This record gives sequence, structure tokens and C-alpha cells, in this order.
Amino acid sequence: MQIIGNLFVWLALIIAVVAIGSLFWGRRLGNKEGEGLTNTGYLATFGIFGATTVSVAILLAAFFREDFVFEYVAENHTTDVSGLSWLYKISGVWAGREGSLLFWAWLVAMFGAYVAYRRIQKTDELSNMSLVVFNIVQIFFLVSLLIDTNNPFKTSPDGWLGPNGELLIAVAMNPLLQHWAMILHPPTLFVGYAGLAVPFSFAIGALIVGDSSKTWVKIVDRITVFSWLFLGIGIGLGAIWAYVVLGWGGFWAWDPVENASLLPWLTGVGLLHSFTVYRRRGAFKKWAIVMATASFILVILGTFITRSGVIQSVHAFEKDPISLAIFLSMMVGAALAAAVGLSIRSKEFSADDEFESLTSKEASYYFNNVLMLVAAIVVAALTMAPAFGGKSYGPATYDAIARPVGILYVLIMAVCPMLSWRKTEGAVFWKRIKWPALGAAVLTAVFAVIWWVELWPNYLYQFPDASPLTSVVHSWEALLGLAVAALAISVSIFLFVDGARKRSTAKGEGYFTSLWRILSKARTQSGGYLTHLGIGIILFGLVGSTMFVHEQIVSVPSQPGSEFSVGRYDFAFQGAEQQQLDNGDTVTRVNFVVSKNGVPIGTAAPGQIEFFRQQQTKLNAYVLVEPLHDVFVVYQGGDEEFISMQVKINPLISWVWFGFLLTIIGTSLAMYPKKLAVAA
Amino acid sequence: MNKRARMRLIGVTAIVLIVIVAIFLGTGSKDGAYYRKVSEIVSSDEYVGERVRVGGTVIAGSWNRQSNPMIFDIRDEDSESGPTIQVIYQGGVPSTFGDGVVAIVTGEVTAEGTLESDDMITKCPSKYESAKDAIGIESLLDRADSMTGTTIKITGYVVGEIKAPGGESRFFVADEIGGTEDLAIFWEGALPAGMDGGSQVVILGALEDDGVFAATDVSLSEESRE
Repeated sequence: MQIIGNLFVWLALIIAVVAIGSLFWGRRLGNKEGEGLTNTGYLATFGIFGATTVSVAILLAAFFREDFVFEYVAENHTTDVSGLSWLYKISGVWAGREGSLLFWAWLVAMFGAYVAYRRIQKTDELSNMSLVVFNIVQIFFLVSLLIDTNNPFKTSPDGWLGPNGELLIAVAMNPLLQHWAMILHPPTLFVGYAGLAVPFSFAIGALIVGDSSKTWVKIVDRITVFSWLFLGIGIGLGAIWAYVVLGWGGFWAWDPVENASLLPWLTGVGLLHSFTVYRRRGAFKKWAIVMATASFILVILGTFITRSGVIQSVHAFEKDPISLAIFLSMMVGAALAAAVGLSIRSKEFSADDEFESLTSKEASYYFNNVLMLVAAIVVAALTMAPAFGGKSYGPATYDAIARPVGILYVLIMAVCPMLSWRKTEGAVFWKRIKWPALGAAVLTAVFAVIWWVELWPNYLYQFPDASPLTSVVHSWEALLGLAVAALAISVSIFLFVDGARKRSTAKGEGYFTSLWRILSKARTQSGGYLTHLGIGIILFGLVGSTMFVHEQIVSVPSQPGSEFSVGRYDFAFQGAEQQQLDNGDTVTRVNFVVSKNGVPIGTAAPGQIEFFRQQQTKLNAYVLVEPLHDVFVVYQGGDEEFISMQVKINPLISWVWFGFLLTIIGTSLAMYPKKLAVAA
Repeated sequence: MNKRARMRLIGVTAIVLIVIVAIFLGTGSKDGAYYRKVSEIVSSDEYVGERVRVGGTVIAGSWNRQSNPMIFDIRDEDSESGPTIQVIYQGGVPSTFGDGVVAIVTGEVTAEGTLESDDMITKCPSKYESAKDAIGIESLLDRADSMTGTTIKITGYVVGEIKAPGGESRFFVADEIGGTEDLAIFWEGALPAGMDGGSQVVILGALEDDGVFAATDVSLSEESRE
């Protein structure tokens, strides 16, 4: 079976070469004579998808058959005995490096096939050349798969298997990856990564044919939103996994692997907004190409950071050397293609429209791009620094930069919809912002009360010796963040309320009918505003959950009845339970009754699993969720005398998850295709 | 774009960039840490007050999970008898922490020569030993009577499951992968990273009367290294 798996990778590679060849040759022969060849190129693009599908199916089947002749299957098969074990058989495909590369190549092929399907009726020059670029990208992935260290179809070494094909040795999937969020996190990220090859290919395609009209943007617009959405979902799921499984009580540690997924998401924000200006005003053309290329390069850089192990990371993912040359040449090649293309086509890609003032809508889009690009570069540079002999930076550095930049960014985001194109007149602006500003003021007051009652005491518990200057700076930064979050929330809500009111007056509809119509008809815009609303709520949550956490580690005598308290919460130990599962794993759980200000609010039952086969321990954190706090309880282990408990009071963290959900809904709405709006 | 708007745009962009750089220089100089070796820090006063990142093997028995802050000693991973440094660590202890594990800590070197750390990640140690002068399993078993009690170096392939510490034996080794002429190994410490069934290992220790080999050190074979 392995031979067949490899054979189909080879086949895909050959078909990709054929596709590129026929698309190029078809172009040289011209529209009429070249039509047959060009069509072959499109069909070949479907062929790549077909061939890689067979390879993926073979690997997936091997996981279900538990065919340990596949070294990759032996190394990544699940030992889980719960009801989820069949899902871990699927997730085995992307649990290791080799399989995830194959999976990624397959997703790239799927996007290729989708684009080919959408454009095969037109076979216009732009699409043809973009498909060429796309298939070149595909070739890099396929070639990297055929290198021994990346090949998922290797045969297990002699002696690994018994006479009946049973596995004699102790290897299996990393138990930390056996979690529902880890089933979904990698594939959603990979969908986003793979999809970002599409806007890049069309950006370069547009440069090749010199077509600076909005045609290419219209073709790739929805696919880009779709990819960016999946990237966002992937990042969110990774954060949830880190929060629940890694057991350190936070969801974002500026870990290299987390940063890697964030980079293309940041430039993706810039790319989407450049597309808006491109479509509506015929400007930001070069920006669109720069951001599409940057996003693609950062996807590849992300793989490099994640998979090469150049940088120490909490993620115990594999650390083998990856085919550095392939990925490096992909990055350099992409940068060169865009740079050369832009210098040759500089004139064609100048803006049709010009803007006059810093108070224009264009200026806010411009700063959106600048901030996102700079943020991506800063994060990439800090992450890569130790690999080049520089210092390694902890969360303190990232936070110090991210907080003011983030607050400024959300401020621009909040104000942007209130601005006019070209130039905003002061009087017009004040008239527009009057109600939202009033709403924001009220909301800020509410937030300030929450800050005073719920957040500030945590800071005093956590940093009793903080200098007055540090405390004042910290407080002001937090209050500013809350005020900007309030403005973003207020403006977004106002846009819906006001939009519905205007529509219902103009069309004579009922108010809620109008509100519904706005959501269902003007999807790109209302989806965008909903996303803005989500971002505002996330900022509110981030201020609490990253700036005002109260953490404590306590040793408790391990007799039932012993007590300890953290802040306003009291914990009473009830006892411990231990249980051995069929596969030899041992599950331990300790039970506590939790009360707040003397009133019981629930039980916390954190624990840990010792994995027999992998000799690893996984902490099972327990989270008590309240509207304004999470009480995060971890059992760190213990002996006859003491048990060690870690407790974190995480304020407003649920609001981060809620805002995240809203951005997903908003972005999905924006992405949902208009039936008749197929780009011409 | 008119000229004035362009100048303003560039001006504001420059201000934003300058502020970011200033914040980075302000915080990064305090928070950033170069990677140093334990031996470097111990041998000179140069690093006192500096924030450093150090990785080292946790010395068995030097720590107590219940103490807060937790105190433990580490030694450079590549040396067996080099100097150690005491780490005073404040924060959550990773679940994989234990004897022989490599702890990578970031913190400040104090005048007393300890390291006050607020950041720790752990990884399994990677240990390699040459199998060239080691004895094979069968030849050891053949001469079991005369060899019992003598400290020797042996090599073989891990057969079957590796068990948790605490039992009579941790794992079995034989002369070939999947071999049946096997020897039980007793070892309570951390196993080298990447060691699993089928790995070639080099073990230091002595054969005991009950036929179990009591190990004092377990490494992967240098020859099997890629």
C-alpha cells in the first residue's frame, strides 16, 4: 500500500508539471489554437486533486486498519479507548509532520480544483496564469513529500512488528494531542494556510498579465475571507486547547508555534481590507499584492518555525530538520516574484483614486495595513531572534508592544466606519459619532466599575509590591483599553440600529424586518460590522484576562477536610480518586468544594492522567465558569502528606470566547457567497 | 494624493514606528535574555543582575514540588560532573518536571549565585553513549555467574513495552530488535528523549543476583544517532 501511496504523490507531481506546461503553451498558441491545451491544464489541476486524494485515503485507511507496516501510522496511532478513539484515527493523519504535510498538499490541491472548476468556463488569461503560479506552489509541496523525512509512506524498521502485524514497540500518538480541540485545530489552520495560496497566485497572475482591474480581486475575495476565517478558528481552537490541556491557565503565551499561526492572520486582516478599497475605490492595488504575498510568505515561515524546531517551544511537536531549502526558496521566490512584478507593472497598479486627508476613510485603511504589517514583522522578528543568536523574548516584551498597538488598532477600526472617503468634514463626523460616543461613554462607565470592583483587587493580590508608577501606567492602559473596547462595541451596535432605522423609514418596512434585511442582504458589510463588534468584545475580555490575573500555588495537606483560599475563593478538599483504564493509563482526580465569600458555588475536580504507553502525564484542569471570572484549578501532583494545587482567577475570559464566536459568525456572513455575483 | 496629506501620512507612520521601537528597547532590554550555560554563569560574576536563559539537567533529589517558590539544582546537559546552579522558581510547575529532565529557565542571576526564575519549560534529555566498548546481552547472560556484581557497560535493543518506574524492572533489552533472549533492566530515572521500543541503548550498571540488571545510567547509542 505504501508503494501505491507514493505512486500517487509522484503522479500528482507529474500532472502538476503537465498542467503548468499546457497552460503556458496554450497561452503562447493564443486564444483559439491554445484552447485545447489550456483546457488540459484545467483538467490536470483536477487530476492533482484526484491523485492526492487517493494518497490521503490510503493513509487514512491505514490508520483505521491499524496497519503498522506504515512507520507513520505506528508512530501516530491512538491508544485512546474512549468513544472518541475513531476521531483520533482520523486526526492521526495530521498528528505528525509527514502526515500533516500530505494533508496540507491535499488541501492546496482542493483549492486548486475549486478555482479551476470556477474558471474553466472562462479560461481567461488571468485565471490561466494564476493557475500556473498556483500549481508551482503545489509542486513545492509535492516534492517536499517525496523527501525521506517528510514521507508518510515509509515502511517500519525491521523488528517493529510481530508475526501477525502487531506492534512490538512502544510508540504512539502524543497524548497531549488526544483532545477534541486538537482534532479540529490543525485541519482548520491548514485550510486557512492552503487557501492563502489562492490570493497570492492571483496577485502574481494579475502582475504577469498586467491586469490591474478588480477582476482578480473579485475572483479570490470570498476564498480569502474563507481562508482567513479558518485561520482565525484554528487560532481560537489552539487557544482553547492551550487553556484546557496545557494546564498553565492561560490561552496565549507568545509561544513560537502560536506566533506562527498569528502572522498570516495579521497580514490577512490587511489583505481583506485592501480588497475592500480595491473593489470600491480602485485604490490600494499595490497594497493588495504586497499583503497577499506577505500572507503567503508568512504561512510558509510559520511552517518553518513550527516544524523545524529551531526555537524552543512548549509544543512538543516533532523537531526533525525539515527540507529547509524547499521552504526557503518558496519564501524568497514569492517575495522576488512580487517585487519584480510590481516594479515592472508599477504604472498599471497605481491607484485610480486619490485621497486628500488624514481624516479620510482611506487613511484609516492605510493605518490598518501599516499596523498589521508592522505587527507581523515585529512578532516574526522577536520569534526568530534566538535562532540567529539574538535574545529570546518572553511575554513581557510582546505584551508591552501588543497592548498599545492593539488599542490603537481597535480605535482605528472603531472610527473607520464613521469616516468618509477622501476627506471627513469635522461637523459631519461629530454629527455621526454623537450617539455612538454617548453609548461608549455609558459603557465605559460600566466597564470602569467592573474594573474597580473585579479587576483591580486581583492586581493588588498579585503584585502587592508594585511601584506606584507601574500601577498607574498599568491602570491607565487598562482603562484606555476598556474605553476603546466600549467605543468599538457602541459604534458597531449603532451601525445596525441606525442602518435599520434608516432603511425602515426609506422602504416603509417594519424595524426588525429592516434589521433582518440588512443582515441578509448587505452581507459583506454587516458581516464586517459584526466582526468589529466581536473584536471590541475580545478587547474587553483581553484587558481582564491578560492584565488582571491572580495566580497562586498552594500545598494542601492531603487529608479530606483541609482548606485553603485564593482571593475571595475558599477551597475545601473532599478526597482523591484513582482509576486504571483498560489500556493501562491511570486517571487521578481530586475533589474540592469551592465557595466565594462563604457561599458554595460548586465543586472543582481537576486531575491528571498518566499515560502508560507513552510515559507522559497530562494535567486535566478544572474550570469553574462565572460571568466575570473563570476559576482555573490544576492538580499538580502530590504524595501521602501534601497535594500541590495551582489556582488562577482569570477575569473576563469568557468574553474573549464570546467575542471570538461573534467574529466567526460575522466573517462567515461576509464570506457567504452571493448567488449571482460570480465574478465575470 | 496631495503632498500635504502624504507628508502627514508618512509623519504619523514614523511616529508610530518610533514609539514601537522605543517600547521594544525599553522592555526588551529588561525582558530579553541570552542563552547561557551553567558553567559560564558559575565561573564569573559578569552575569550577576543579568536576565539569562539557561537549560540544564535537574539534579535528582535537589527539589521538592511542594515548596513555594520551588528550589532545584541544574547542571549543563552535556556534562556529568560540571558545576550546578540553584534555581529559585516562582510559578506553575510543568507536569513533566522531574529528576534528570532538562529544565529551561529564564531569570535573573543573583549576587549569591542563584537564579531567580519566573519562566520554565521542560524537555526530555537527549543522551548518547558509544556502544563500541559495551558488552552484548547474550555474552553477558552466558557469563552471568562471573559477571554478577561488577559494574559494566552493556548495549542492546529495547524489546516490548517500557513500563513506569516503581516496578521490578523498567524495560527489557536483547541483542536484536524483537529478540527473545532478553534481560530485565531496573532503572528509576528519566529516560533519554526519543527512546522507545526498538531503540539501541547503552546502559551502565551491574547484574544482580536475581538476574535483573540494575542500571546507573541509560543512554541512546551514539551509533544509532542520525
